[in-house]
Amino acid sequence: MSSRVCRTCGGSDIDVDQARGSAVCTSCGSVLEDNIIVSEVQFVEGSGGVSSAVGQFVSADGPVKAPLLGSGFHTSVGKESRAQTLQNGKRQIQQLGSQLQLNQHCLDTAFNFFKLVVSKHLTRGRKTEHVIAACLYLVCRTEGTPHMLLDLSDLLQVNVYILGKTFLLLARELCINAPAIDPCLYIPRFAHMLEFGAKTHEVSMTALRLVQRMKRDWMHTGRRPSGLCGAALLVAARMHKFRRSVKDVIGVVKVCQTTLRKRLTEFEDTPTSQLTIDEFMRVDLEQECDPPSFTAAQHKAKMQQLEQELAKKLDEVEGEISCYKDEIETELEKSRPKLRGIYAAYTKEVDPEDNAEVLSMPSEPEEVESEDVELQAATHHLTEDFLCQVIQEEEVRGMKGDPVAEPEKESMGPHRQAASLTSILGKLPSTASLSLQQTFQTSDTSESGEKDLGDHPQSEELDLEGIDDQEIDKYILNEKEVQVKTELWMKQNAEYLKEQKEKQERINKEKEEGTYKEKKKKKSKKRDQIEALTAGEAIERMLEKKKISSKINYDVLRDLNRGTGSPTRSPDHTPDTTVARKRLNRRRRRKTSDSNQDLAANTSIMGKRFRHLISSTPKKKKTAHQVERTVTVVTETETPAETESNPPLDSAAETSPTLPTAPSPMEEEEEEEEEEECVSALQLVGDYGCDADEEEIF
Amino acid sequence: MDSSNDEALDIIITNVVATFRTRCHLNLRTIALEGTNVIYKPEVGKVLMKLRKPMITASIWSSGKIICTGATSEDEAKLGARRLARCLQKLGFKVRFSAFKVVNVLAVCSMPFAVNLINFTKNNRPIASYEPELHPAATYRIKNLKATIQVFSTGSLTVTGPNVQNVATAVEQVYPLLFECQKPRCK
Repeated sequence: MSSRVCRTCGGSDIDVDQARGSAVCTSCGSVLEDNIIVSEVQFVEGSGGVSSAVGQFVSADGPVKAPLLGSGFHTSVGKESRAQTLQNGKRQIQQLGSQLQLNQHCLDTAFNFFKLVVSKHLTRGRKTEHVIAACLYLVCRTEGTPHMLLDLSDLLQVNVYILGKTFLLLARELCINAPAIDPCLYIPRFAHMLEFGAKTHEVSMTALRLVQRMKRDWMHTGRRPSGLCGAALLVAARMHKFRRSVKDVIGVVKVCQTTLRKRLTEFEDTPTSQLTIDEFMRVDLEQECDPPSFTAAQHKAKMQQLEQELAKKLDEVEGEISCYKDEIETELEKSRPKLRGIYAAYTKEVDPEDNAEVLSMPSEPEEVESEDVELQAATHHLTEDFLCQVIQEEEVRGMKGDPVAEPEKESMGPHRQAASLTSILGKLPSTASLSLQQTFQTSDTSESGEKDLGDHPQSEELDLEGIDDQEIDKYILNEKEVQVKTELWMKQNAEYLKEQKEKQERINKEKEEGTYKEKKKKKSKKRDQIEALTAGEAIERMLEKKKISSKINYDVLRDLNRGTGSPTRSPDHTPDTTVARKRLNRRRRRKTSDSNQDLAANTSIMGKRFRHLISSTPKKKKTAHQVERTVTVVTETETPAETESNPPLDSAAETSPTLPTAPSPMEEEEEEEEEEECVSALQLVGDYGCDADEEEIF
Repeated sequence: MDSSNDEALDIIITNVVATFRTRCHLNLRTIALEGTNVIYKPEVGKVLMKLRKPMITASIWSSGKIICTGATSEDEAKLGARRLARCLQKLGFKVRFSAFKVVNVLAVCSMPFAVNLINFTKNNRPIASYEPELHPAATYRIKNLKATIQVFSTGSLTVTGPNVQNVATAVEQVYPLLFECQKPRCK
């Protein structure tokens, strides 16, 4: 406490009285301060007799401004939750870090990272687990510990790439440049796991040399460091006459067999592999290699080149061969005996027939009828031609003098096709074609109007330049095909369609009932149907799930419903009964009832019941009727239990005064009990639920 | 910034992704049943339609938004998109071609030298990042161009950007950096 100087007299002897909260100058007696703010810690007694300090923790890096109530309301709430988040994060970091055997310094650094992350709002939308793992991995990288991201993902059972994504993002946002992974870091760890005994150090040294050699041979860029370590360790182990199979190594290193084998073969390709063990330990080759993927690519390129050359050569050779072939054939023909006379005529006839078959379109429409059959047979498989042929028939029947059917071979094909198109459309007047015609016209006009090839949003009409309409028509099926496809699709997706129908029906029904809620996507806790033969069984199962209380003797409850004339026993546990009565009392106020009955018998019964309930092991059997009520009653009892601030001890102390009052309410309760046993039994259970809760608190 | 010294670098565009809108509601079932080369995915709510002439795959949603992928140039993408719209028009929808935009361009390029990724990352932190545990390539992100370049140790690059111009610029930008960290060729 700094001694201040009195303002009036200048004396430095000031008496501060904490009790009165005043500061007085002893020399002149002037009061310097009144109502001093005391900065002592105050304690308050909480429920259960536990005393706790008053106040909140204000963290040094919290919001600097004092939180204003009202406008800044959310900041004050947010700050509290912020503290909670940090606390939670710290706990998780400790947990995960201890599993990884990180020292406290690393964990503290990780927590600092986490604080940074939280302050930058990067935890939003990400699982805290992932963020924490990323923070820990950041620490591992900056400190250079031999932990892989794979280890973390193993612990958390999360995909390593997801963790990697989070890690990369955090590293970028926090501007932390993690140094690149050196495979040499992992060697001692893996060597230790492979159990080389006394020679572990030597083996690690050898493996390190191997890895360095691999690095110089450019085998390590773009590869997982663990794979290289695995290969190096395998070789080193063999060098020191340890038998470690590929399986052992991959179990430790966490790569697959193929990868390991590949690394070994790559190493084999380097010149270093040719050295003996001794040479390797002594000598370091100067020569470096290209990375294996590079050499592989070059190899491929070479192979392709070779193939091309070969192909060229083949062509040349083929050319020569064909030359020889022609020559031979001409020679053969010359030597062949020639047909004379009638036979010559036959050979000539072949040609015009061939031509006729080859020509799909007849040159003159007059020939159509005669060649119709031939056409059908020959061109049936060509759809366009088929269509054209159909059109031809139509034309022949209908319009003889059609100008389109001009005997022009060259323009025949496209003309026919154009004709077929329009006639097809004419034959099948569908909305598609109608709108098509319209759009044709509109698009034509728009096309002529705006020749905008740029991406201006103003021209929303489709620019048809460069679009081959006929080709596009091929993309659209005609009616028959549509039918077929519809059938197929319906068959294929029958299940889905059924589901949709059911859903629609359900929605309609609910709409009628008026209970339809848009988007019932709430995933409430699954309440699967309890199947049971009797009501009693059903309650049993429900209670198993609901876990109301383990101290209730459900047997008795069951009996309650069935038999009213159960033998009486001496009432015990008066405090409990009175407590229960007190509970009942409270609820009595809510439920109106008035009945008068014989007290003694009832109290004894009640007492017996209570004792039963308390003492025996729980058996969960109740009537279905009571089930629902139990639930509601239990929930009701929760609130009184919570609102109760006084500890049960007090209530126990109060039992004596309440005892005289107890009988009267008891009467009412008993009556109700007798009249509506279900309800009172429920109350009992409910009460007992409270009671049990209290006991549990103890 | 001229990137090429003697030989010009071939930047091959392998994929162009574009979107456009038809400004009208589309009935996916009709499209699915009346079109060839269509795959209907009712669970997701879209139809995949494949065109042959520009090799294009389009995802069509019932709201009228369409994403067109697989083209090898921006013009081709536009042509393909227009063809697609024409096809939909013929199926009977009042299609209008609006808001055509090339969203993503993917290109591949190969350097004549191999690259030392570790040095490259060291020199260019934090723009470049290299995680051998996750991906064999080093990622270099150019913020102002919004382009991402993935550099492999063999010297091949994969560039993605919002349009072809950006992609070319990105390659030009990154070339000198790669040249510094090249691996001296041997053998």
